[in-house]
Amino acid sequence: MALTARPITRLALRALTAADATCNRLYGWRFNPLYQSGTIVLVLLLILLGTGLWLIFFYRVGEPYASVARITADPWIGNWMRGAHRYASDAAVLATLVHAFRMFAQGRSWGPRTLAWVTGVVVLALLFVCGWTGYVMVWDTFGEALAREGARMLDTLPVLSEPTSRAFAGERPIPSVFFFIMLFAHVGLPLGMLLGLWLHVSRLARPALLPPRPLVWTLVFATVALAIVRPIGMAPDVSPFRVPEMVNADLFFAFWLPLSRSMNGAAALTGAAVTLLALLAVPVLSRRRGIAAPAPSMVDESLCTGCRQCSIDCPFEAIVMLPRTDGRADEVARVTPDRCVSCGICAGSCAPMGVGPPGRTGRDQLSRARAFLDRPERQSGEIVAVCCERGCARYGSSLEADGAAVYSVDCAGSLHTSVIEMLVRRGEGGVLVLACPPRDCWNREGPRWLTERVYHDREAELQARVDRRRVSVAYANASEPRAARQALREFAAQVAALGGAVAESAVTIETVCEPVPAEEER
Amino acid sequence: MSVLERVGGVAIAGSAAIAIAWVSVAPMRLYESPDAVVRVSLGARPERIETCREVSDEELETLQPQMRQRVVCEGTTARYRLEVRRGGALLASQEVRGGGLRHDRQLYVYLELRVRSGQSSLDVRFVRLDSAPTPREPEPERVAEREAEREEHDVDNRAQRGVIPGRARREAEESRRGRAEAVPALLHLRTNVTLSPREVVLVTYDADERRLVAVRGKP
Repeated sequence: MALTARPITRLALRALTAADATCNRLYGWRFNPLYQSGTIVLVLLLILLGTGLWLIFFYRVGEPYASVARITADPWIGNWMRGAHRYASDAAVLATLVHAFRMFAQGRSWGPRTLAWVTGVVVLALLFVCGWTGYVMVWDTFGEALAREGARMLDTLPVLSEPTSRAFAGERPIPSVFFFIMLFAHVGLPLGMLLGLWLHVSRLARPALLPPRPLVWTLVFATVALAIVRPIGMAPDVSPFRVPEMVNADLFFAFWLPLSRSMNGAAALTGAAVTLLALLAVPVLSRRRGIAAPAPSMVDESLCTGCRQCSIDCPFEAIVMLPRTDGRADEVARVTPDRCVSCGICAGSCAPMGVGPPGRTGRDQLSRARAFLDRPERQSGEIVAVCCERGCARYGSSLEADGAAVYSVDCAGSLHTSVIEMLVRRGEGGVLVLACPPRDCWNREGPRWLTERVYHDREAELQARVDRRRVSVAYANASEPRAARQALREFAAQVAALGGAVAESAVTIETVCEPVPAEEER
Repeated sequence: MSVLERVGGVAIAGSAAIAIAWVSVAPMRLYESPDAVVRVSLGARPERIETCREVSDEELETLQPQMRQRVVCEGTTARYRLEVRRGGALLASQEVRGGGLRHDRQLYVYLELRVRSGQSSLDVRFVRLDSAPTPREPEPERVAEREAEREEHDVDNRAQRGVIPGRARREAEESRRGRAEAVPALLHLRTNVTLSPREVVLVTYDADERRLVAVRGKP
């Protein structure tokens, strides 16, 4: 994917990895808010839900402005709740945009991920409409400006014979039913968002819904603190016989207002529709013509022992276990091509090396590793840095300058432990796997499974006969050469203390896989 | 993670929070010019322009009982033209028709026009473009009344013709009400107003008084 990316995607990716590296240094990869942007949105939506439920008890459709003014005038809970509600909604828009930018930059917006992208765009659109209704409910000068603009756009549609704008003309008071509809929409739209979010993660196994707990509480605390430090005020009441010169606008939800006011309603509505359609079409637009989607994984049924590990490890629930039809007693793995993103995680999880994308199964990896070791220019006893090609392989030359032999793989999570075993047993000084930070893995769970296979005997584990002291896993993203070189230096010092490695004359790799009982599935 | 990085992390998070708070209540200029606004907003029933004919007894007998009515009118609603002038200069001129696909519903107008603030002579005309029914055509009310009288004095024949009793009178009333509620053929508002910057004067149709009125907010 990296090789086929368009210039705009490459530029976006460069900016993203640089920002990721900065945040990793400042917050550590576990709490990097850019990695957690998706889960942060959910926390903010929960804050919105909590504060919104409180506010709804005090809101009156018969006197919208006065009731909100009463809430705002309460210097304690009322004002804080309203402030937290508003700031959480703003932060939710920001976090959603960051999350969308991340997916776009990483090319995770098309193919089998199209559903996630499209539902994400729909949720964002619903968030905007929900925010719009929320501000209209207040019915201050800003809310009125939003309502008028919305009505102006709506009136260009040949649907209603009576212009909606007449409701705000001043001929008669605005009926309570209008605010009731706004309230109904403001409460109902989040239900649609929940449905959208469910669809958004429906193709993921073990979706990460919430960030680490300290980050959750930091977000809650920060939102409330901001509401206290910078309390929300009330804009002036609306008069239909006076147009306001200035309003205090929430630009997260009204950034489009100056632009749309400068054009006629039809053009503004067309602009909004085209923007939405363009966002929905990103999966098509971001895909380069003539480049086929990566081939999905395949199962060699003669090798499959029915252990279920690939089905358990697959981050996209793309592998199902079916009864065998060839007379053997076990189940057999079967890939659902529509769901497979060709991440190759299954290749790393299959001990008998019978599953994986074409050319990237464990057996293919071993062949490649042998070819790497047999290269005439190679010197035995080096430290081999196994680099993720989307990660530290980008600065592989600087690692080579530090004395490592760089062996790049498409995802560290798809690396079969047999490759590590072969490298160590063939007399390499050590194997340092430089994976992307876990939350940054394009394939979601690659570093997690790799670490468990290397250190915690997860199925397709690194065999006991491999000297663990000569193996290490470290994390560094594509913009963290310093962290990678630091890990390399530390590992080199550790390996140097062990003395020279001994190469085995004939290395045989076992391909044993114990079937996992169903109750042990994680 | 060094102390410096921790402090940097907190500082950047704090700056992001401050930025969010600022963007959340950023001042936005909505209406830069010191102009005033003339808002024309009206809804009214357009007059029907229709051709009516009296249906013969023979023709009535060929119809289903519920379809029998003495006067059948076909047509559409009138078109109107709205013109807004300020100090004699034309600000807006547009043709207005009834709503709905067949233009047989209420007509609506909504216009916002910017005008220079200060003293203004405002002239709003709403004129029917299509002509009224020609006198040669039977007027539905008169025919209906005649039919109603006939019904009252000719009970036996009424039953024979099959026209539902009282229908003619109800239709006559309906027709009369429709004509009474229709917007007059000419509405004209001429007024001198002194508008302050960003003030809105609303021109609307008063259905009770059957005239255009200019409404302003309390000073």
